[in-house]
Amino acid sequence: MNRQLKLNRGLVCLILIIIPFVIPLFTKEIYTFHILISVGMNIILATTLRLILISGQLSLAHGGVMCVGAYTSALLVIKLGISTWLAIFLAGLATLILAFLVGFPFVRLKGIYFAIITIFLGEMIILIGEQWKKLTGGSLGILNIPRLDPLITPGGVTLNFDSKIHFYYLILILSISIFSILYSIEHSRIGLTWKGIRQADFLAESIGINTTKYKVYVFAISCFFVGIIGGFYSHYMTVVSPRTFGFLFTIYPLVYMVAGGMEKFSGPILGATILTILPEIFRPLKEFQPFIFSVILMLIIFFLPEGLIGLPKRIIHLVSEKDGNA
Amino acid sequence: MGMLEIIRLTKHFGGLTAVNELELNINQGEIVGLIGPNGAGKTTVFNLITGFLKPSRGKILFYKEDITAKKPYSIAGKGIVRTFQAASVFPDFTVLENIMIACYLKPKIGFWEAAFHLSRYRRKEKYVLGRALEIIRFVGLDEIRDVPARSLPHGYQRMLGIAIALAAEPKLLLLDEPLSGMNAEEVNKTKILIHRIWEMGITILLIEHNMGAVMSLCQRIVVLNFGNKIAEGSPDQIRENGEVIKAYLGTMKYAS
Amino acid sequence: MGMEVSGLIVQSVLNGFVLGGFYILVALGMTLVLSIIRFVQLAHGEIYMLGAYCVYYFSVQMGLNFFFALLISTFLVGGFGILLEKIFFRPLRGDFLRSLIVSIGLMLFIQNAVLVTAGGEPKAVPTPFPGVIKISSFTISWERLVVLIIGLGLVVGNLLFIHKTKVGHAMLAISQDREVAALQGINIDHISSIAMFLGSALAAAAGGLVGALFNVEPFMGGFALMKGIAVIILGGLGSITGTVIGGLIIGLLDGIVPPLLTTQVASLIGFGTIILILLFRPQGLLGHE
Repeated sequence: MNRQLKLNRGLVCLILIIIPFVIPLFTKEIYTFHILISVGMNIILATTLRLILISGQLSLAHGGVMCVGAYTSALLVIKLGISTWLAIFLAGLATLILAFLVGFPFVRLKGIYFAIITIFLGEMIILIGEQWKKLTGGSLGILNIPRLDPLITPGGVTLNFDSKIHFYYLILILSISIFSILYSIEHSRIGLTWKGIRQADFLAESIGINTTKYKVYVFAISCFFVGIIGGFYSHYMTVVSPRTFGFLFTIYPLVYMVAGGMEKFSGPILGATILTILPEIFRPLKEFQPFIFSVILMLIIFFLPEGLIGLPKRIIHLVSEKDGNA
Repeated sequence: MGMLEIIRLTKHFGGLTAVNELELNINQGEIVGLIGPNGAGKTTVFNLITGFLKPSRGKILFYKEDITAKKPYSIAGKGIVRTFQAASVFPDFTVLENIMIACYLKPKIGFWEAAFHLSRYRRKEKYVLGRALEIIRFVGLDEIRDVPARSLPHGYQRMLGIAIALAAEPKLLLLDEPLSGMNAEEVNKTKILIHRIWEMGITILLIEHNMGAVMSLCQRIVVLNFGNKIAEGSPDQIRENGEVIKAYLGTMKYAS
Repeated sequence: MGMEVSGLIVQSVLNGFVLGGFYILVALGMTLVLSIIRFVQLAHGEIYMLGAYCVYYFSVQMGLNFFFALLISTFLVGGFGILLEKIFFRPLRGDFLRSLIVSIGLMLFIQNAVLVTAGGEPKAVPTPFPGVIKISSFTISWERLVVLIIGLGLVVGNLLFIHKTKVGHAMLAISQDREVAALQGINIDHISSIAMFLGSALAAAAGGLVGALFNVEPFMGGFALMKGIAVIILGGLGSITGTVIGGLIIGLLDGIVPPLLTTQVASLIGFGTIILILLFRPQGLLGHE
């Protein structure tokens, strides 16, 4: 890629990063920030899902993994009184370990079977959450989870996390950090190896690549970040219950990823942003909103096979075709 | 010097015996041909050596180390690399990417270096790129190095498959019908390539149906039929061998 | 004391068979659909739910006889299934992920359609067969028995259809090898539509029968979907006898365990078994893929 293109790309990225930071200057609407925080969480869930997909596996366990992260963080803080920041990190560690434990037997399964077993894993986690009342409070969940401990920034400002705007900045910084890491890894030889495993895993084995290890690692890395988001969720919402993690956080990231486009790193980001905000735009329609959502979703799937990422190209195509005929 | 020792290697598939008590030694620096009619068990032997199949009985030693039934990636790591007849390349990768992924074994890169693209990582990548370009040049594919592998004509895909195996730094290279489906020009190119690989000091075990190539390239030939070794010797000996001729009756190709 | 316990056991076992019957119906429908469109159609649970609501509508709102309502509903929903396949799944044949997302979109759409038109509160279908019968010292409600018999009849009828009729054989052929089936002169699109109809009709029938015994609510589909997938995996993809046995096993689990423990534990045992099967015997009990 030549210099000019790289520069343009970098500039666009910079602008896209700066815009979210200055949004709070233009609005103080609490609900807006709730949506933006949801966008942040969804983007990370969709991006981590895509990472696993790169190695050829479809994981439908995100909801259950997030549940483990959320409960781990909540319980560590409530029962052991440790700092929420440490708890969130440990939540990620817990899901990382879980991923390693189930990963090694699971990744032996090919294609659809891996997806199915992850569905059941997720469901079992939620059932355990409902059943193990002593630990998790059962179906009713845990209430009154402490918000994040106050943080003192380098500038001497104390963030008490009593305002959604603080959470917003936190998820913003988390997102950018996580994306940088995932982007780097994907564009390194590790990412190349994952992509090779997806295309021809026998061939990869024959040249010395331990495909099992690589598949487990990508699963584990993704689950680590999903666990972190789970921890964030529990201290943000301050309530958790098992069923909330059942459907939404497994199926929707999948939808965001496919609708956004799976080829590029930015696909899930675009998909999650647009499809999280879309229902809010149609909120005034009340009960008809889900219809609009599902219709738009199906339109995207039918007419944009490469996802929303492919939209600019399509428009350019259409425009240039029109000129050609004129 | 004894490199690969195959001792009483046997493989049953249900009621069928694909390989029966095979005894074979490969010495360092040889090119050995493995021939036989279709279904003789040749690819099964490759699969057994490289760990893609577990033997029902028998042992495989590589430099005296028992590698029987080890995982394929670890056998490749010890220096035995094979090619495949089908699915021989990574279709969505360019030629260059195909080679670069195979330069995986060394130098090793760690997770953190890759995550943050540390300077140590960038230096290693430069080295890997250099090696990959060298291999591409050696194999003769550098004009098409940015072409996606799936767009390559069949013959070039097979050559790329050999290049991939080469990039994995084999001591022993197992080639599974590298010339199949190639036209005359591609066959010539590949024959020369195989010879040059051997000259670099890499030991080669070659499955091929193209008799002319086998006779001209190999110093020793082993003949399998229905899973049994029926003959072993120099090309001249094999050419005259009655058993071999009987086994091949009607199915031999004398292409050169 | 012994009487009560054994009465409870008999009830639980009977419940187990009834549930098993439902699961088998849903799973059979799923297998038919799966063999045609080659991916797990997530809206199948909603087809099941639609069947339940149709039966509710026809029998309660319009006062029709229960059997009649069941019949109409199965045909209506079966036809709906054909439409879905033609419009949504056929164009995306082969593209697994996009088909999956479309089925998710359909699932959301149908769920919300029902939610908006019928409301979210569970509705009860008054029992079409009141009363109980007594066999020696055990009491069994008529409706349970009838539902069991209908369910059994549908399963057997379906099996006979697939194994004894030309159309059924054609479906088997397509599910095994599409290209070979086409070469044999089988009209793929035609048979696909029939299979979709049957598959959706079975799910709708299951939904209707469940509605008769329990309640109908807009989100009952997800439960049926999970159980259906579990049954198919347990029994083995491609084996109809396996589906029947798998359905019975999971049904009995769900019948017997909850009175002793909880429904969660029953599901945990069921799903845990599925995971073990996937890891150690992926072809299921009787599958052959």
